[in-house]
Amino acid sequence: MAGRLDVLVCSGGACMSSHSLEVKEELVRQLEAHHLADEVRIVETGCMGPCQYGPLVLVYPEGVLYKNVAAADVAEIVSEHFLKGRVVERLLFRSETADRIIQERRSIPFFEKQMKIVLANCGAINPESIEEYIGAGGYEALGKAVTTMTPEGVVAEMKASGLRGRGGAGFPTGTKWDFVRREKSPKKVVVCNADEGDPGAFMDRAVLEGDPHTVIEGMAIAAYAVGAQHGYVYVRAEYPLAIKRLRSALEAARKLGFLGDRIFETAFSFDIEIRVGAGAFVCGEETALIASLEGRRGVPRIRPPYPSTSGMWQLPTLLNNVETYANVRHIVARGSAWFASIGTEQSKGTKVFALSGNVRNTGLVEVPMGTTIGELIYDIGGGVPNGKRLKAIQTGGPSGGCIPVPYLNTPISYETLKELGAIVGSGGVIVLDEDTCMVNLARYFVEFTASESCGQCVPCRSGLVRMLDILDRITRGEGAMDDLALLEELANTIKRSSLCGLGQTAPNPVLSTLQYFRDEYEEHIRHKTCPAAVCAALFVAPCEASCPAHVDVPAYVAHLSNGDFAKAFDIHMKTNPLPGICGRVCYAFCETKCQRAQIEEPVAIRDLKRSMADYAMEHKLAGPKPRARNGQRVAVVGSGPAGLSCGYFLAQLGYETVLFEALPIAGGTMATGIPTYRLPRDILKADIDRIVRAGVEIKLLSPVEDLDELLADGYGAVFVATGAMKAQTLALGDPLPRGVVTGVDFLKGIHVDGTSEVGAEVVVIGGGNSAIDSARAARRLGAKHVTIAYRRAKADMPASPEEIAEAIEEGVEILDMTSPTGVVGGGRVEGLRCARMAAGPFDASGRRRPVESDQAEIVLPTSMVIVAVGQEATGELLRGAGIEVAKGGLVPVDPVTMSTSRPGIFAGGDATSGPATVVEAIGAGRRAAIAIDRFLGGNGILEPEERVEVATDYDEDAYTQERARAVPPMAAAGTRIRSFAEVRGRFAKEQAIEEARRCLHCDRKQTEDGVCCGSSAGEAAGATTR
Amino acid sequence: MDKLRVKIDGRTILAAPGKTILEVAAENGIHIPTLCHLDGLRDVGACRLCIVDLYGQLVTSCTTKVADGMEIGTQTETVRAYRRTILELLFAEGNHVCSFCVSNGGCELQDLACELDMHSVRVPYTYRRERVDATHPRFLIDRDRCVLCGRCVRVCQEVEGAHTWGFAERGATARVITDLAVPWGTAESCTSCGKCVEVCPTGAIARKGASNAEMRKHPDLVAELTERRARG
Repeated sequence: MAGRLDVLVCSGGACMSSHSLEVKEELVRQLEAHHLADEVRIVETGCMGPCQYGPLVLVYPEGVLYKNVAAADVAEIVSEHFLKGRVVERLLFRSETADRIIQERRSIPFFEKQMKIVLANCGAINPESIEEYIGAGGYEALGKAVTTMTPEGVVAEMKASGLRGRGGAGFPTGTKWDFVRREKSPKKVVVCNADEGDPGAFMDRAVLEGDPHTVIEGMAIAAYAVGAQHGYVYVRAEYPLAIKRLRSALEAARKLGFLGDRIFETAFSFDIEIRVGAGAFVCGEETALIASLEGRRGVPRIRPPYPSTSGMWQLPTLLNNVETYANVRHIVARGSAWFASIGTEQSKGTKVFALSGNVRNTGLVEVPMGTTIGELIYDIGGGVPNGKRLKAIQTGGPSGGCIPVPYLNTPISYETLKELGAIVGSGGVIVLDEDTCMVNLARYFVEFTASESCGQCVPCRSGLVRMLDILDRITRGEGAMDDLALLEELANTIKRSSLCGLGQTAPNPVLSTLQYFRDEYEEHIRHKTCPAAVCAALFVAPCEASCPAHVDVPAYVAHLSNGDFAKAFDIHMKTNPLPGICGRVCYAFCETKCQRAQIEEPVAIRDLKRSMADYAMEHKLAGPKPRARNGQRVAVVGSGPAGLSCGYFLAQLGYETVLFEALPIAGGTMATGIPTYRLPRDILKADIDRIVRAGVEIKLLSPVEDLDELLADGYGAVFVATGAMKAQTLALGDPLPRGVVTGVDFLKGIHVDGTSEVGAEVVVIGGGNSAIDSARAARRLGAKHVTIAYRRAKADMPASPEEIAEAIEEGVEILDMTSPTGVVGGGRVEGLRCARMAAGPFDASGRRRPVESDQAEIVLPTSMVIVAVGQEATGELLRGAGIEVAKGGLVPVDPVTMSTSRPGIFAGGDATSGPATVVEAIGAGRRAAIAIDRFLGGNGILEPEERVEVATDYDEDAYTQERARAVPPMAAAGTRIRSFAEVRGRFAKEQAIEEARRCLHCDRKQTEDGVCCGSSAGEAAGATTR
Repeated sequence: MDKLRVKIDGRTILAAPGKTILEVAAENGIHIPTLCHLDGLRDVGACRLCIVDLYGQLVTSCTTKVADGMEIGTQTETVRAYRRTILELLFAEGNHVCSFCVSNGGCELQDLACELDMHSVRVPYTYRRERVDATHPRFLIDRDRCVLCGRCVRVCQEVEGAHTWGFAERGATARVITDLAVPWGTAESCTSCGKCVEVCPTGAIARKGASNAEMRKHPDLVAELTERRARG
């Protein structure tokens, strides 16, 4: 009987491996138990697409899609949804941007921009039922072709459609068919290439598993068009499910007369055999595939002759890819004009992409050609998860290339991707986030192709091994700059002189990463560092590698885990003299790379640091002893983190160091900008006092106007760290009414001048940390209603997610996609006019540029507007010293030595980088101190280079089990907004020790002889840079 | 049939249709370096040393047929550089230490290095250290000297018809084998005709007991044989 509901259970490869069949069996049981077996029909389908969320269950007629369904969820679905009509919300999709639940499949963003032609039946019908295929219009096209069209007519349709080979090369399909059709031979062969081998591509498998008849029908139409009698599908043995379903589909098609003799009672006869390949990558190359089909060693041969003239058994052979055949029946049924209307000028129709890597929605997607890369990654793929930044996308597998972020607006087509040095290829798209090392990525692909080379021709066989060897050396930090030239020469030789497509494209991943990420290769070679903290030979541990100050995190955390806070503190002081400050306001780059996140969450490194710093403060620890004075003097301008760090390390090296500060207080932005609820001033003072005790003299209220005067005064060198204190403004009206201030002035007013005027309604403009700081400070000063207006999407705010969340808790409202256009009010501000924005094309940063929407302007009533849209350096002091200053007031410096174009004058911190973080400034200050020491005749060595080996004698096995990250006490939001008291509490001592033991000690590396030791590799690398 | 007009290195040459660029060049005294090519055997274009410039594309001259109006460069800067790099790669993957080799002075690989001005190898040698197979009563194979040109495989298939030699594995570990990778002396299909020895361009396949001076090979035997067979 006709069912009331159809329940589709995905049984694509990915869903099956997450136990979708158990879900189906449980469904059968539950339906029996509830006597629904007659009313609800269960259908096993092929891949539905969003593999990340499998097992998937789709319920018709409503079209409700459930994700991550486990067998245990089935009872609830049956009793709630099927019996009572109440959809089970917890299993529905949730929108990434707007926080809402999405019930219907078609409104899920993953599906909205897709257009399914090839995958139309995948996930919609039972692939093992030919009746369902026929019900969905199957074999109509074959019938139409053989009964109403001539072979020439079919070929003409294919030509007119503009379809191009989906296997990778993009050769016009109709032209290829025409070549084979024109061959005068009584026997011809049609072959389907299902030897899908690119890492990260699985569309052919999905089609064969989810809709095998569509391939059979496409091949049969092709056979009719070119005059072939025999067909072969060459499918790799690693796809057993595809083979099984294809086999049963072939039998069903024969039974109903769609294959075999006299198809549709015409003179046309055709049948298909399956040939199972042993999985050599090179057998995807057409001549190698044919050799393998014939039973010979699967190696390519020189073309011509092309298979269209002499292929299988020397017969004219039509060879197309699975996805190409899957398009055929749609073109024949709906006409070439319809197909040609989809896509771009030269790339027609749709393309199936397999999204994988660092993207939220991994899986199979089908989009019209011409869809932009950004739409594919963000709108369909859902963007990069875990708050990481996109670095590049890799397309086309081992034959393809990388496309970096600035090209997100590129429409996808064969031509555009080729122009960028990548290819559409078979459609594998690997999304790469900031944690990807491009050298290591290139190395991975070359390792793959080197091992898959057939070994016949010399450049590919021997050259790829050489390229791999060079890449290996670079990732171990043993590369030389000459290697890059040799690498490029080898790459070009292999590309241009190899026998087949494998060799001719194998160097592409190297050439394309050299094109866009050459600086990363150079980092590995010149500085022996891996910026993404991937190449393990080049760092102590990922946390240390990602720390701009290169604090030896595993060492001090190990001391903490032993309860030795004093030793931990000493280690920290060797690289970072501001532990109290960093224990509170550091961006904690270390935690973003912490490998513990693979078990549950990163180690709470910043909170551990705070415990350690507070201990040091309370016990009045001084840190390592400075060297004896060497009699030389150095001046530092500015007492922010860069100046303090540089001063401290110069004092450690024996210099008499004087810090000149224009303001009445020391600390730079840490004193004037960071609110006390984040950084109490006694903590700031304790860190600064320790530096003073270490021998640095700080002169307050001493603005420096002329660097030459300082040098004339007997200072051997000068370090300029004047920050980026000038607030950027917006043209909101002229003259501006009272009540419009900059974030810089507002925060400085509170912390330096002691003013605290604030309106009842406050609007803050901006999306960075100083906007959040201003908003939260305004709440504390008594503002009833604080709104942050930000022109981009909330997810694009540069402020740290933690701070944003805390601000919201404190009652701050965030109005995103809102761009202020002007103020309302005469004497005193009364409101802020804002345009509502929409997401436009992607900009160079990979975020969507806000463009004006058609929504009407809004006016936010307010008595105070705080403009916190960024700060910049002025560069005045350095310009005065004859040093060239770039745009934005920034001074170009050597990234390692921080030296300016003028010998003896060094600069760092926000003054050279633009607004950045405290810890980056600390790192710059330390590098400058080392370089100044060298400049003044020293050896630039701050501490003995060998690493301290720290024993941690605790039960490692126990601590590598899942164990929640410790959370320090936090003041309640209601209490917080009543004062400027510190919001975040600290760990109790025992809690800190326990948390420190969560560290996995990535610094302990297995050496070649199997001995597990501290950081011999880290030492080797450290010797040259740190 | 009408002759085709082609231009090789700027020289206009009349060529018979159906011939390869290599053949036409050789007939006109233009030398193109080769290694896997041997007159009398099917061409596979594997060594890539005979590449020539054809409208900016690099093609193997041994497999590309001439067409009317073709303009071919056999000694362009690019072609020479690529040949040299390919040759370096060949040297690097084996143990080609000439002074220790029985074919020193009678080696095509050595000749090519001289011809192409290859003075050094910029990448490290692999030193594969394969076992020498001396199980055959009269011949031996030292795979460390093998350049995988496949001449032994082809001569054994196409001329002798024994199919003793074949390829095994792939990529950097690809090698020639006898029968199903058994020691040569136990390969039942081998007729001990010695054609593989004569066609081997290096000292990889050699006669046992031959001194350096005695170890001279006669690869042109194959062309003689095939021509005589064709005449019947």
